[in-house]
Amino acid sequence: MKTIRLGSATGWARDRFEPASQLVRDGRVNYLCFDSMSEVTMSAAQVQLMEDASTPPYDPYLEPRMEPILRECKEKGIKIITNQGWLDPEAAVDKVLEIAKRQGIKNLKVAAVCGGIIADRVAEMGLDFIETGSSIADRSQDIVSAEVYLGARGIVEALKQGADVVITTRVADACVYLGPLAYEFNWDFNDHHLMARGMIVGHLLECGTQISGGYFADPGYKDVPNLHDVGNPIVEVTEDRIIISKLPGTGGLVSEQTCKEQLIYEVQDPARYYCPDVIADLTKVSFKQIAPDEVEVFIHEAGLPRTPTLKALVGLNEGFMTEEMVLFAGPGAFARAELTKEVLRERFKRVNLVAEELRMDYIGMNAVHRESSPLAAQEPYEVVLRLALKTKTRAEADKLRREVDPLAVNGTSGTGKWATSSPGSRVRPVVGLYSALVPRELIPATLVVKDLEGARHESSVPDA
Amino acid sequence: MKRMTLREIAHSRSGEKGNNSNVSVIAYRQEDYPLLEKLVTIEAVRKLYGPITKGGITRYLVPLIGGMNFVLEDVLEGGRSRTLAFEESGKALSSLMLTMIIEVPDEIVERSVQVKQGGAA
Repeated sequence: MKTIRLGSATGWARDRFEPASQLVRDGRVNYLCFDSMSEVTMSAAQVQLMEDASTPPYDPYLEPRMEPILRECKEKGIKIITNQGWLDPEAAVDKVLEIAKRQGIKNLKVAAVCGGIIADRVAEMGLDFIETGSSIADRSQDIVSAEVYLGARGIVEALKQGADVVITTRVADACVYLGPLAYEFNWDFNDHHLMARGMIVGHLLECGTQISGGYFADPGYKDVPNLHDVGNPIVEVTEDRIIISKLPGTGGLVSEQTCKEQLIYEVQDPARYYCPDVIADLTKVSFKQIAPDEVEVFIHEAGLPRTPTLKALVGLNEGFMTEEMVLFAGPGAFARAELTKEVLRERFKRVNLVAEELRMDYIGMNAVHRESSPLAAQEPYEVVLRLALKTKTRAEADKLRREVDPLAVNGTSGTGKWATSSPGSRVRPVVGLYSALVPRELIPATLVVKDLEGARHESSVPDA
Repeated sequence: MKRMTLREIAHSRSGEKGNNSNVSVIAYRQEDYPLLEKLVTIEAVRKLYGPITKGGITRYLVPLIGGMNFVLEDVLEGGRSRTLAFEESGKALSSLMLTMIIEVPDEIVERSVQVKQGGAA
């Protein structure tokens, strides 16, 4: 019986680097899967590119992630599936081919799954934002980024064409797992129960160690052995079994509890988890611990047919934001922080600060759970006043630091400062994210496969 | 009956989707799930998250894993891309859920006690 092992190398763009090499060396995996996206990734990359044209249009960590593993993956026949292509997956393909040439790797095929970026045409599609119901066309001047979540078909096509490395633009994160499974087991994309099976496997693995002991430890309640050495997860899939484990000889924990937490992580209605290729019913999933750090996943007919639309994220220019901190400790810390707040409010009036929004929090007291924080039972030893400002223009946002830095000499007694030696501006552009549903027929996905000899083959992805 | 925090019988994880956050509540022991269903109501959750949740709160049940999923709408001050909140991801919201005070039958053993005695599953 065919057995496929997928290793989860990263759960997001800035995840740890070492696990990829460990998985290649010790994981006995057939595929190494990288998720590098969160909701804000594409719009943030677009802003970065606008601020500094020398920024690569793909994940800037592509090179340091591929460099140490590319040769060994090719030698062992481990295929790499990654969504690090971001704004320009073909440019990412060229970078990987360049690394391969430098390392003297032979016969490497690298594929780009493209086509989901619609920033230049989303305003003409006659669509409305889901959040506000208002027309996208009305905000066409403010559009920074727009991309749909593609499904797994492009990845399957790339593997069919013999790609060793598949680099995608935005796909639903779990597709970097569904793709190789659908390819290896020759799944019919119209079989929604099979699609749901693959999508749920992907959903469980897409956040990396969040299923193997990361984001789980709560000392005295949920203890995780050797969290510093947490092992990345591996899923072993056959026609009829799914078993989640982790890198052998590492820390961390794969238990029914870690799996349960991840099953409904970042999900709205668990009975209808919308994905590009299927709607998955997560309430049909259960787990059983079959050995230490090995959990079997049971999925019973969990698919519903896919929707006629794909979800798009649209990033809109919404001005600028900045933040500052002022530090206090010891006797009267809280009273001095309160006085500082008053002083700043008066000084903001004098410089006619026009704020879209202004927040003042006390870190250590109410900055994390905000207005839901319980009142402090006793006065804290330390108080950090944190100020955050949103404005329409950059010049307006600059006013915050211009009033906070002077507190070093004209604020309250014992006023401590944060990062004053860092020159330049902490002001950054704000991109508000909205979503919309786009008819599938408006999104023709394409596949580009390149090799080391310079061949380039472009094809359309059937019914992406 | 005795009072304890929800943390003694359930664990939780939270995350974001746009300007919404979801917070799960999962029983450590499957047999405690009916208790969760009875005690961890939308009203009880609103008492904790009400001051920061501008929109609706929905509860979804996932009995096979002994858990439920709460979706808090309009809770992230606009969502990760534009929020002025210091914690921008919603990932720290789960710990607030665990502070909920619940009243349970005397025979329920606290998780912290089970872990100390080494008997926790």
